[in-house]
Amino acid sequence: MDIVEIDNVTKTFGQHTAVDRVTLSVPQGAIYGFIGPNGSGKTTTLRMIMRIYHPDSGHIRVLGEERFQAANDRIGYLPEERGLYKKMKVRELLRFYAELKGCKDFKGAVQRWLERLAITDWAEKKIETLSKGMAQKVQFIASVIHDPELVILDEPFSGLDPVNMNVLRDEVLELRRNGATVIFSTHDMHVAEQMCDFVFMIFKGGKVLDGTLDSIQNTYGQDTIRVRVEGNGFDARRIPDVEKVTDFGRLQELRINPGTDTQRVLEAIMKQGRVIHFELTRPSLHDIFVRIAGPEAAAASVAASVTSVPVPEPAHA
Amino acid sequence: MRKTLVVAMREYQAAVKTKAFIITLILMPVFYGGMIGVQLLLRDKVDTADKRIAVWDRSGQLYDSIVEAAEKRNATEIFRGDAAEGRQIGPRFLVERVEDPTQAPEKMALGLSERVRKKELFAFIIIDPSAVDGGTAEHGPVQYHSNSPTYDDLPEWLAGPINQRIQAIRLERANMDVETVRRATQRVPVSNLGLFSLDEAGNIKQAEETNRVANFLVPMGLMMLMVMVVMIGASPLMQSVLEEKMQRIAEVLLGSVTPFQLMFGKLLGMTGVSLTIATVYLIGAFYALLRAGYGGFFPAEVVWWFALYLILAVFMYGAMFIAVGAAVTDMKEAQSILTPVMLLIFSPLFIWPNVIKEPHATFSVVASLFPPATPMLMLIRQAVPPGVPLWQPLLGFVLVTLMTLATVFAAGRIFRIGILMQGRGAKVGEMMRWIIRG
Repeated sequence: MDIVEIDNVTKTFGQHTAVDRVTLSVPQGAIYGFIGPNGSGKTTTLRMIMRIYHPDSGHIRVLGEERFQAANDRIGYLPEERGLYKKMKVRELLRFYAELKGCKDFKGAVQRWLERLAITDWAEKKIETLSKGMAQKVQFIASVIHDPELVILDEPFSGLDPVNMNVLRDEVLELRRNGATVIFSTHDMHVAEQMCDFVFMIFKGGKVLDGTLDSIQNTYGQDTIRVRVEGNGFDARRIPDVEKVTDFGRLQELRINPGTDTQRVLEAIMKQGRVIHFELTRPSLHDIFVRIAGPEAAAASVAASVTSVPVPEPAHA
Repeated sequence: MRKTLVVAMREYQAAVKTKAFIITLILMPVFYGGMIGVQLLLRDKVDTADKRIAVWDRSGQLYDSIVEAAEKRNATEIFRGDAAEGRQIGPRFLVERVEDPTQAPEKMALGLSERVRKKELFAFIIIDPSAVDGGTAEHGPVQYHSNSPTYDDLPEWLAGPINQRIQAIRLERANMDVETVRRATQRVPVSNLGLFSLDEAGNIKQAEETNRVANFLVPMGLMMLMVMVVMIGASPLMQSVLEEKMQRIAEVLLGSVTPFQLMFGKLLGMTGVSLTIATVYLIGAFYALLRAGYGGFFPAEVVWWFALYLILAVFMYGAMFIAVGAAVTDMKEAQSILTPVMLLIFSPLFIWPNVIKEPHATFSVVASLFPPATPMLMLIRQAVPPGVPLWQPLLGFVLVTLMTLATVFAAGRIFRIGILMQGRGAKVGEMMRWIIRG
């Protein structure tokens, strides 16, 4: 059963089309990652799922209902731009949100969550005294305190230190283990790769990727070589059949032309120095993201518009 | 409704549980009471320095009367209480005769003017030779010259003895006895009384003398309380919405409540705050009147109307403040949009004296049925005995309710869109579009 069904939805603000004919289905119990550059339409899509915005055309069904309320108690929502009442105390604020969400044992729920995220010592402190990470934990609790069936988190990990990020990541996974469906947006491709069952990428308002990580990567095939060569003399640009080089310093990532004989590439590299690492692999999500939304794609787009040559469609799952 | 009540309770607690609220609650009456106290204290704080006036009586018939009247006034009328022990609360008027037949009148007047400029004199008057007969001088038969045009105590006082003496001379010329005429023309006072009525036993009950001060002060006090409580209750809604918008609290809330529930909860919460304040002040006023022996003047019969109007006024004006808070991005932007709202709230303050004086005049009836002013002006009219026909407050109530519903509806549409709008404030045209198109 699909928890969220988005069917050919478009949303415009004045002359700007924020979301353009997007179709998407989020199955129950999945963790669905929304990725895309800033301003591509992620937040607008999430706000439409939450019914904070209404689509200009198309249909959205959430939890089987098309005319549901954003304030549905079966949903937990953590927006990207989030603030808390600064003068309220942590416990008081969490009780307020728990009551709003119809939590029957709201006192018990608040105490459980304070203990789960190890912030009981801060329960009687005012929000204005909290650090950013601590405040983010409180915001997270406020959005899931009522054990929702669907959790929508817009950039839940942004600005967190690694320790707090691990804490929140574990809690998101715990929510899924308890049966919740989770949709979250992120700019961290590594997090998306690690956590998401499905990845949806939106670019300039349109859907450009949608599927499991495997299916997305398979579309691109094994066109990436990760290589590490001893010394500093290696120049990947001299290797034949290499379409693009990404230099990470100690490691180079080479994208090769389709049909290239990788043995010949290896031989060419070996001529430049002693090879420590050579790996033929599929492109990472980060690489795929950059291929679609980076300067390379922009240049291709300009070239296509000048020469009228059709640009290869990005992979769809 | 549950969510609305949760929001209302938070708003109520957030407002009431602050030190600022307690301080405002105490300071408001202290402030207003202080203002009245300062006025009472300053009432007698007038300049008591002597005021010397030169009289050039070209008629030769009035000077003595002026001097006589001035001496009487200086001896008895400028003291609070007994002249011997009382405190002086007004200046002495010292009269000086001037005449020099050798000088041209203009030159004489110029010389006197110079003395006023040098502060040797406060003022001088020139009485025309034909003053007793009505005078033919260009600027009138009696001309008062001073360098203090706004000080009118002296010219007003002078008119008394001068006119009395002129009348006496005219009567004597007509061979009429001054005292007889004075008795014949003496004015009689008109007592201001209420109406006769029947008591429970069916006997005719004498009309009572109306207490002008109480009849005036009680309605005015109720109106002032209404304006004050509406301001305390409704205006913080703008800051509250602006805070939620700019600190990005709004979207978190909108994940839990609908915009309308949020707005309605806020209005409900602040109505509770207003009722709390009004209850405290009304109980205080009742207790104070009781202690002073004026318990009967407490307007118990209009208190329920007061509560009803207060609820509607907080909803109506609160919705306007919420709409402004949602449409702007900072207080500076809010100021310009707030001007018409403030004008509406304070509009009754411009016309209430007319309404209280003639509560049944067409102007008063129409003004009190203008919905933004009804909670204040209808209340005044109801509080002035004997009140107004029941259809008028009922019609006023219906009109204010309709206006409140329309305002809440319009504010709801502005709030729904404006609360999530960042970066720039909404223009008036934009807000109108939101209201119409939704």
